[in-house]
Amino acid sequence: MVQFVQIVVNGVFTGGVYAIIGIGLSLIFGVMRIVNFAHGVFLVVGMFTTLFFFERLHVDPFLVIPLVVLVGGLLGIVLERFLLEPIVRAPEHASILMTVGIGLVLSNLLLFAFGDAPQIINTRYSTSTWHLGPITFSTALTIAFVLTVVVIGGLALILERTDLGRSIRAAAQNADAAELQGINTRRVRSLVFGIGFALAALAGALLLPQLFAHPSIGPTYTLKAFVVTVLGGMGNVAGAIGGGLLLGVTESLGAAYVSSSYRDAFGLAAFLLVLLLRPAGLFGRSRT
Amino acid sequence: MRRTPPSGSHPATRPRIGAGTSSLTGALVLLALLTFYPAAFPSFITLGVTIVLFAAMASAWDVLGGWTGQLSLGHAVFVGIGAYTMALLVLRNGVAPWWGAMVGMGASVVVAAMWGGVTFRLRGPYFALASIAVAEMTRIVANNWARLTGGAEGISLPTLPLFLGLDLFSRRVEFYMALILLGLALAVAWWLQRSRFGYHLQAIREDEDAAMALGINPTREKVWAFLASAALTSLGGSLYGIFLGFFEPRGMFSLDLSVQLALMAYIGGAGTLFGPLIGAGLLVGGSEVLRIYFPGKSLFVYGVLIILVVLFAPDGLSTAVRRARRA
Amino acid sequence: MIQTLLALALAFLLLGTAGGISGAAPASGEPIRLGAISSLTGSFATFGSMERAGYALAVDDINTAGGINGRPLLIDLQDDTSNANTALTVAEQFIRSGVPLVLGAYSSSITKPLAVYMARQRVPLLNSNSADDSITKPGSDYVFRVGQNTDAYVKPLFGLFKQLGGIKTIAILVSNNALGHSVENSLVTQAKDGDYQVVFDQAYDEGLTDFRPVLNRIKDIGADVLAMSSYEADAVALMRQIKEVNLNAKVFAGAGATGFAIPSFLKGGGEAVEYVITSAAWSPDVHYPRAHELFARLKAFMGGVEPSYHAIRSYAGATVAADALRRATTLTPEGIRETLLATRLTTPFGTVEFKDFNGFHNQNPLPSILMQVQRNKYITVWPPDVAVGKVIYPTPVWTARK
Repeated sequence: MVQFVQIVVNGVFTGGVYAIIGIGLSLIFGVMRIVNFAHGVFLVVGMFTTLFFFERLHVDPFLVIPLVVLVGGLLGIVLERFLLEPIVRAPEHASILMTVGIGLVLSNLLLFAFGDAPQIINTRYSTSTWHLGPITFSTALTIAFVLTVVVIGGLALILERTDLGRSIRAAAQNADAAELQGINTRRVRSLVFGIGFALAALAGALLLPQLFAHPSIGPTYTLKAFVVTVLGGMGNVAGAIGGGLLLGVTESLGAAYVSSSYRDAFGLAAFLLVLLLRPAGLFGRSRT
Repeated sequence: MRRTPPSGSHPATRPRIGAGTSSLTGALVLLALLTFYPAAFPSFITLGVTIVLFAAMASAWDVLGGWTGQLSLGHAVFVGIGAYTMALLVLRNGVAPWWGAMVGMGASVVVAAMWGGVTFRLRGPYFALASIAVAEMTRIVANNWARLTGGAEGISLPTLPLFLGLDLFSRRVEFYMALILLGLALAVAWWLQRSRFGYHLQAIREDEDAAMALGINPTREKVWAFLASAALTSLGGSLYGIFLGFFEPRGMFSLDLSVQLALMAYIGGAGTLFGPLIGAGLLVGGSEVLRIYFPGKSLFVYGVLIILVVLFAPDGLSTAVRRARRA
Repeated sequence: MIQTLLALALAFLLLGTAGGISGAAPASGEPIRLGAISSLTGSFATFGSMERAGYALAVDDINTAGGINGRPLLIDLQDDTSNANTALTVAEQFIRSGVPLVLGAYSSSITKPLAVYMARQRVPLLNSNSADDSITKPGSDYVFRVGQNTDAYVKPLFGLFKQLGGIKTIAILVSNNALGHSVENSLVTQAKDGDYQVVFDQAYDEGLTDFRPVLNRIKDIGADVLAMSSYEADAVALMRQIKEVNLNAKVFAGAGATGFAIPSFLKGGGEAVEYVITSAAWSPDVHYPRAHELFARLKAFMGGVEPSYHAIRSYAGATVAADALRRATTLTPEGIRETLLATRLTTPFGTVEFKDFNGFHNQNPLPSILMQVQRNKYITVWPPDVAVGKVIYPTPVWTARK
């Protein structure tokens, strides 16, 4: 029983990070109708930005998070302005191709800058733990989880309470109507892509202390983000949280009790089932 | 029957329904020219096989992806089924590879029928996402089901029997086999350009609801397109397996391979006769050139190329060229 | 029009490639040219840069010492971009340009299709660094391997277990790829031969690496030895999470070398990798001539980056090739293949000869060594005649470490 709880707890904590990857993707899809194939690479950009500050400035990776988020946000806005805005009316495969291209270019730039050896950093809390009764918690994962909750809370506030948030939600529901209401949807798209990139970069910063950074692991994360987003409902930001947690727990239980070599298949199977049976996601209202 | 660009959200024109007969002559001249390739470039036959084979598989992909507009990012499944069925039948049952390739084609068609039947109610990006999930799950199963596939360690082909007196492992023979397959794929594309079935597919691509209103059953037509696409891709996979001589699930069922086939078609021009061929030539031949002239930078240049094509030739290079000529 | 354009484009591409290759060949002297294929870019590039260093220094040394009977040696190293198709394309160009021997490649997944092709073309392939057993088992007359296979990596572990005593149960956790399964097979077979009980045996899918669930399972089951095989990044993540979930074993073993036996394992793992015992192909401690000196030169060549055993094995591979060229009566693929068979050469890496044994064909039977991480350094601990330190056993439990 203790072991079961332990495994579920691990799954929830990992799921928190999955959620934050998925939220960005979901937001971008919701507003821009773009399936972002570069999303995992954005995360890797976040990892390497963190790594850069950690190694050059010798600052704790969790302390440079605001900087990493800022860099990610700016990069996202620039990319949207110059590469995605021009094709905003093109068929959807154009944006898929574009994000594939962006992903390739970014990951290769990282390769030139940082080399191709996997980079692993060692911090005080990389392997440290704390205990609650018989359950063990990884410190790095705990900090990541707490920050995730804070950021998601903040994002929810922005979306619900601010003008910007209202513009974003309006643009997601119906871009043309939003435009008629005087909302500058072009600006909204730039901001949304910036926020999406920033969230992915944040996830990268959160993962760096426990995992490794390598310029070419982006696609693995992109796939995870797809699964999370579909589970929660494409474009459904709140759903992505549920999707992330669900994926984290499913993978943990599957790897522990069924087989670790099929770990990724569990998430994918859930992904396909949800896609077929509830295209709006597990947590979404069915859209027409 | 040239269409005016659909208004509204898709002003990117696709003026290619019903291109003339010049394309047929073009295709025949091209195939005839290509038969001289091995004699002209004896040191680059391997490269030639790769280009022609990928051109054939990209054309096969295009039947569903370009002509029907259903973006599949899981076609590696059929490459893998083609290669594995052929190889496993040779290894375990001593079945000749050409019969194995036929069985593989049958298996691919069955898989495509189930896959399409279940997922064709999904539209646009949802279908694409589902195809990724199917392909990744297939890869994971192939990787772990060692008793069936030999597992992650991969399998090597034994000595193969001669096919009509030809050594299948000779690069020259492989080149002509790939060329025949490419001819077959081009013939299908040419037929789609002018047949009733082809018009149906293009109508579905442009507007599924309108097609339905015209009395077309989109799901049924899409499934047929998928079957044809899967069958051709599977044959390509069998040949690819012979070409490699050794392969593992990680390579044969990889998402990378699926994305590559789609990229080739799109960059050259999806839903056109020559698009996939141009795309394969550029991407395979191009990366060989890049590898030599820009060592270590080839993937980067590749990425830049994709971005440029999307920005400046969103319907692919062959369409852009045609438009430039007309202007 | 379209077709003219196409033909032009095609012609341009092909001429372009042709020019590239001939441009790479030097114009002066009459060097003997060998082909080499390695992964200089892409996912195996870390190891490709090691191989490049090994080949480069070997060619320097060979040519300083008089080359091949007076003629300089040239190794034309081409990048396979970590892709089998590219390796095959390069191999064809090598063979067509009359190269009598090809060296390479790094990854087993590239070397295997390459080996199949070379055997069919009847040109010898001299491999230094691919570990997968199946490359030389059953192998072919045209494939020779300098480096150790996975069986050889696993063997000394059981030698050590026997000497240490008190070990009965083994848990196996390997990456779900060719190398991982090859190591797994060797472990299972040798465990059975030695009457050890395998209590857990799983592969993990590579990618995001949350090992905690499976490590918790192993902790529950309990085993004297946890034997693992992973590439670079996973090895560190594994050891960190083993510490985190407080999983204890008498021995933590890196049974397939690779990720557990390279300098970045120490740097990335820190205190979490202390006491890990890993098999390795080589260490500077082996008492072969010029081993320490070569290590220092390789390090200088790589700009201060610590070379792994892959660099040394590539050095040995090039040395063996040069030796065969010197002895060959004709510089044809067949002539070189025959002289390779009679190779017996002591290199800084160790003695190289190509033998047939236990189903292997043209395989160098060199045993591998064991190193233990002690105070964040690799200390050679096995075999006894090479060891420079004592094994610390059993591994202290995590709570007792400070």
